[in-house]
Amino acid sequence: MSGKQERERRRQERMQTETKVGTEDRRKKLLQIGAGAAFLVVVVVVVGIVVASGGDDGGDASSIKDAALVDQELSGLEQDGLVLGDPNAPVELVEFGDLQCPVCKAASEEALPPLFEGAVAEGKAKISFRNFLIISEESEPAAAAAIAAGNQGRGWNFVELFYRNQGAEASGYVTDDFLTAVAKAAGVKDIAKWNQDRKSAKVTKEVKEGHEEALSIGLEGTPTFMVKGPNTNGLELIGSATSAGPLEDAIEAAG
Amino acid sequence: MNFPSEAFLRRAIAFVAALGIGVATYITIAESGGGSPACVAGGHGCATVAESEYSELAGINVSIFGIVGYVLILATAFLVSDAARLGGFALALGGFGFSIYLTYLEIWEIEAICQWCVASAVLMTILFVLSATRLIGYAGSDAPPGATEQLQN
Repeated sequence: MSGKQERERRRQERMQTETKVGTEDRRKKLLQIGAGAAFLVVVVVVVGIVVASGGDDGGDASSIKDAALVDQELSGLEQDGLVLGDPNAPVELVEFGDLQCPVCKAASEEALPPLFEGAVAEGKAKISFRNFLIISEESEPAAAAAIAAGNQGRGWNFVELFYRNQGAEASGYVTDDFLTAVAKAAGVKDIAKWNQDRKSAKVTKEVKEGHEEALSIGLEGTPTFMVKGPNTNGLELIGSATSAGPLEDAIEAAG
Repeated sequence: MNFPSEAFLRRAIAFVAALGIGVATYITIAESGGGSPACVAGGHGCATVAESEYSELAGINVSIFGIVGYVLILATAFLVSDAARLGGFALALGGFGFSIYLTYLEIWEIEAICQWCVASAVLMTILFVLSATRLIGYAGSDAPPGATEQLQN
């Protein structure tokens, strides 16, 4: 092999090696970018999920939602304390509920609104809310706050709005701030009076009486619906309800 | 490690992306005007998901993002270059991540499942696997002459 041929062979070999090294480098770089992108996507997805799960937890005094919706649902309906509807309605539907109870929240959102615009609006039935404190001791100030709102004709707005903004059971969200935010959004005008009322001996006694009534009937859970009317033998048990159907049937049968 | 040929991967990506365009387009059309996609086995999952606050992002229906994503992924299947390999992977990766997020919303926040959204999530997952395989297997390799025409013919 001549010197010239030998030089050409070496040059070819060097170029091949350089190309191979270049290809490897580029491959490595591309895979690094890909891995970086994968890491970034993992971070973004985790942050997205954390934000989504945190945003809808409820129990947040700084963002009380659905006040207008509740206002609209209850508009035109008479309220006396925690009794909703015509006081002379022949049938009384009683709900024993705990404001912290998630199943009560579901009942409040799904089962009751059809009654508001049906039996209650038509004057066939009134609905009484009574506090049965089963979740934790935080249920007690919540119950007192609802009764105090009822003293200003906004009891049902308070109950319905509390349910729509309910936090996780016994998680400590039932603070004075939270209760005040719900009361304000529920349309309680005199917050100073509401504050005084909810801590008064009279309201505390009323909370206790509702709870003891539920215990004396032998109720074990919330929500428990009962009905009283011309065709019932006193207060009769309906049970829990997550849709309006069974409640409407019971009201019909009782009247 | 033996990878499937890049031509096979590109054909598979093109096929799955085309299916994805079909699914996302159906969801977009069904939801336009306040409707919802028909749930195959009955139930109201699709209506619940379509009516939820999460069905739109910045005022745009999320299925439109799906169409755009699938179209771009389809485009990368027709090109043979490192940019196409990386671009296709990045798009499928983003789509896959977004699908995980949407599936989380369906299960835990909206508490309803829409079969069409699940179908799209499955397609995006397949695209992610295919495009990751394409990137890992062929990143840095030179484009064989006439490769672009091969797929088109």
